Amino acid sequence: MRSLYHDGRTVMHRLPAGAKLAGLMVVAVLLFLTRSIPLLAFAMLATGTIYLGLGQPLRVAIRPLVPILATILAVVGLHLLFNGVEEASVTGLRLTALMLLAASVTATTSISDFIAVISQAAMPLERLGLLKAADIGLAVGLVVRFVPEIITRYDAIREAHRARGLTPKAGTVIAPLIIATLKDADSIAAAIDARGIRGQ
Amino acid sequence: MKTRDLVLIALFAAIIVALGAVPPITLGFIPVPITAQSLGVMLAGVVLGAKRGVLAVALVILLVAIGLPVLSGGRGGLGVFAGPTVGFLLGWLPAAYVTGRIAEGFAGYTFAATKQTLGFIAAAAIGGVLVLYLFGIGYLAFGAGLGLEKAFYGSMAFIPGDLIKAVVAGLAGRAVMVGYPILHRSA
Repeated sequence: MRSLYHDGRTVMHRLPAGAKLAGLMVVAVLLFLTRSIPLLAFAMLATGTIYLGLGQPLRVAIRPLVPILATILAVVGLHLLFNGVEEASVTGLRLTALMLLAASVTATTSISDFIAVISQAAMPLERLGLLKAADIGLAVGLVVRFVPEIITRYDAIREAHRARGLTPKAGTVIAPLIIATLKDADSIAAAIDARGIRGQ
Repeated sequence: MKTRDLVLIALFAAIIVALGAVPPITLGFIPVPITAQSLGVMLAGVVLGAKRGVLAVALVILLVAIGLPVLSGGRGGLGVFAGPTVGFLLGWLPAAYVTGRIAEGFAGYTFAATKQTLGFIAAAAIGGVLVLYLFGIGYLAFGAGLGLEKAFYGSMAFIPGDLIKAVVAGLAGRAVMVGYPILHRSA
């Protein structure tokens, strides 16, 4: 699984991840507070300039935005039909600007930086005894490790159906997939505890 | 939290991610293939219960936020949260919780097969459809400013498919309960 991070040396890359996330939240709130079309248009141009200035090849930069842009355009279309041009422009510009800035943070922040920030933010919760901050990184690592294995298992179950002359259907594939996957939990948990990874 | 619960949560998050990556599957009784990711959210509640189900879904949303393309169609990154349909993503959290809460009431060996299956189907339908659409339509209406009526009609087309997913989730939940029960009354 490849992340949407793109290596580079721009100002955005060098900013600390926590600052970028805080900035993104502030901008998001500001964007939802204003209804001024010139201001929102300026925001979209500015965030667009930031995003396209990150040194990503154009195709790599555009691809992850296409599905999000499609939903924004669908909403803009509905606004045009029912609520008029002003409402359509405000919503379209606002969401596109926010999307571009958010995508800029994603493209310039590595997974490990994100996890460091999130673990740090979770420390107060750890002090309250609600969770262990280090578990977050461990859980993320486990998911990334096991997704390919589950996809392989899913394909194997489908093949087994075909070998027996059955058509693979959701109802008959999902249950064995879940049971087979979750049955591994005990041995994985034992392996984690045996290595003292969670320090207990 | 016990290490086993942590692992169960991570494995279920991985199942939800995998269900978004595999080609759409047919249900058998309708010819249209469906993407199985929202089915995974209902299953998280029905199989793991409220607490662990919510945490599994939260883990998937966290993976999206840190820039991994784990949603169906390879979507991911913080940009997803700027889309007008983000309510249908964040709504996964209350959806898995409510599904799990109701399903926990039908856990155990004392229930007849039909009653337990129907209970799980109802849990998935209430949590994974009713609650999910409440949040999804809510954000479309007020976050994206579409207005309640249009947001509702714009989302209606997806409700029949999701109700069918709830039936599949209920049946699969019952099968897992028989084969490898991990849903407890109060997990």
